[in-house]
Amino acid sequence: MITVKVKRFINYSEQLISSVRIEAGSNVMNLIETIGLPLDEIGSLSINSSQAMLDQQIEDGDSVEIIPPIGGG
Amino acid sequence: MPYGYNGKILHVNLTQATWEIEEPDITWYRTYVGGPVLAAYYLLKHLKPGTDALSPDNVLVFALSTVTGAPVSGFSRYTVAAKSPLTGAFGRAEAGGYFGPELKFAGFDAIVFYGKAEKPVYLWVHDGEVEIHDASSVWGKDNLQTLRILEEELDDKRIRVASIGQAGEQMLPIACVQNDLEHFNGRTGMGAVMGSKNLKAVVARGRQKPVFADPETIKAIRKETNEKLKVHPPNVTLTQVGTSGLIKGLNDLGILPTRNFKKGTFDGADNINAETYHNTIFESKGSCYSCAVRCKRKVSLEDDRYPLSIKLGGPEFETLAGLGSLCEIDNLPAIARGNQLCNLYGLDTIAVGCITAFAMECFEKGILTTDDTGGREINFGDADAMLWLIEEMAANRGIGRLLGQGVKRAAEKIGKGADKYAFHIKGQELPLHDGRGKTGMAMGYALSPTGADHMEIGHDVAFQGDAISKLSAVGLHRPVEPLKTDLEKVRFFAVGQKARQINNCFGICDFCSLPIHALTFQPLVDLVRAITGWDTSLYDMMQVSERGNVMQRWFNCREGFGPEDDRLIRRWHQPLPDGPLKGQRIDPKEFREALDLYYAISGWDENGKPTLAKLVELNLAWLLDEDS
Repeated sequence: MITVKVKRFINYSEQLISSVRIEAGSNVMNLIETIGLPLDEIGSLSINSSQAMLDQQIEDGDSVEIIPPIGGG
Repeated sequence: MPYGYNGKILHVNLTQATWEIEEPDITWYRTYVGGPVLAAYYLLKHLKPGTDALSPDNVLVFALSTVTGAPVSGFSRYTVAAKSPLTGAFGRAEAGGYFGPELKFAGFDAIVFYGKAEKPVYLWVHDGEVEIHDASSVWGKDNLQTLRILEEELDDKRIRVASIGQAGEQMLPIACVQNDLEHFNGRTGMGAVMGSKNLKAVVARGRQKPVFADPETIKAIRKETNEKLKVHPPNVTLTQVGTSGLIKGLNDLGILPTRNFKKGTFDGADNINAETYHNTIFESKGSCYSCAVRCKRKVSLEDDRYPLSIKLGGPEFETLAGLGSLCEIDNLPAIARGNQLCNLYGLDTIAVGCITAFAMECFEKGILTTDDTGGREINFGDADAMLWLIEEMAANRGIGRLLGQGVKRAAEKIGKGADKYAFHIKGQELPLHDGRGKTGMAMGYALSPTGADHMEIGHDVAFQGDAISKLSAVGLHRPVEPLKTDLEKVRFFAVGQKARQINNCFGICDFCSLPIHALTFQPLVDLVRAITGWDTSLYDMMQVSERGNVMQRWFNCREGFGPEDDRLIRRWHQPLPDGPLKGQRIDPKEFREALDLYYAISGWDENGKPTLAKLVELNLAWLLDEDS
């Protein structure tokens, strides 16, 4: 198992920060399923401040930041 | 030989029923590329300042870009532009779909209309041929009827039609242009300009795909981009739920425009959010030409009160919030029905939402009464009142005759302090974003040449983590503070706007490309090079973008617009009364200083007019000759 830090931006004063244990070799999609977050609540997702893809493998100690959809027409 | 484009601009004189074809050289195409910048060229050349926007002297431009119709996700967009009958400023709106690429395949890069047809007509452009047809069979018809009749008349089910409904025919300044019944050049009243010219539709059909300079590179980038779009989280969300995900996101943030921009949270948000939408009225996904994102929604519902047709498109975020939270309506089928009525009649749903909320607040305050509405109450939360107002506006009757002119004119006519509740910038109703929680977006609203517009810049809060890293190529390395209007924000806006406006000028969709989506700067530049064969660069493309902005600004300066028109709505200078951002406001002095700093960064003088030096830098010194 590996541990990653997940920071979910809820609003300007509230951010949910949690430590998530997940199997080694998991990707971003596996992580999202583990924390039970619907895909439609993800506007942007980065790992260690870099663009991340859903099929990207997660490493032990990664910092994952999730922002909800807040822009578009 | 031009690659990616036809090298042909069609000029149509509707008064004389004649046309001619211009073939500008490559330098011209590299300078004016497409969209707003190409349209601004013809408006500045041929439109005299002070012209009545609904007179035959207005000039109407349908502008593709040199890369429109390339087989890449997001390369489908086109611009319709003219002097706006809503604002009196530069009018412009972009739409995706299939019409733009089809016009390219029909042989032209843009169409410029002059004059007014004696009787209603439509333009039929096919495989390089041009015909002006009598439109008496479709005049008075809605957009769905028009499409079906034209398919029969031209005996071709594969035509692509950009048309106006009854709203455009009646020259309502909130009338839009639509294609394929679910793509809209929504803003600034371009449908009214078509109506004023007796131009019901432009119909395109073409079998000649453009030749590209480097098809192999295009194919490789297309494949790579489409793979990324499948796993890039913002794009996956758009594929899954379109833009409806914003309802929850913005409501949680406390900036979902509610009750005519008074509040930032809506109690009924759960009833109109992505989950409810996709569990109830959603039927299937729709798309634009060659796009893998498929963000469009198709809806259906068998219901006597709120029937929904799969042919007419589902509401996107702006409409969900405009006809929904802004009017405190949480009846999703009714909102979707309102959207489809607007689509049939050809009304801008953003304007309709703002007008409806304005009318409801005036009714609440006793400024409008049942004496004005023929006995009908119009209260916040009343979905049937919203639908009734749409019918009244589209028919241009009763209270609709007043409201269909937009909130600015309606408030002026109503008097009694109604202007306190009429929210617009430069006369254009506001898109559904609250600047109190996104000050960069607020700057875009104030500075957009078209009046309040959410397509000037990305949304401040989005530029964290991965999104800001995408902007490093233009020197934006650090996230900005969403709630501040500080020096960093002004720099971010000034640079970010030039990067963002590449999309409009090249006809590229924000939902595939920058600022936050999968297609980033380098592959974008590589694509333009591969399509056109031009030795272009990000610098060159940002200059095109800035040239477009300066030309539109120059147009507005000629029409008498100045710094006092670059402003926000009064309500945003007051504290938000609810939600997580309770108490948040934009300080008017700070905001004015930010705009003045932006003028200086942009090479504009203290009156917001581009300087000679800036015109020379952008190869626009000829504008001075045009004005002398």
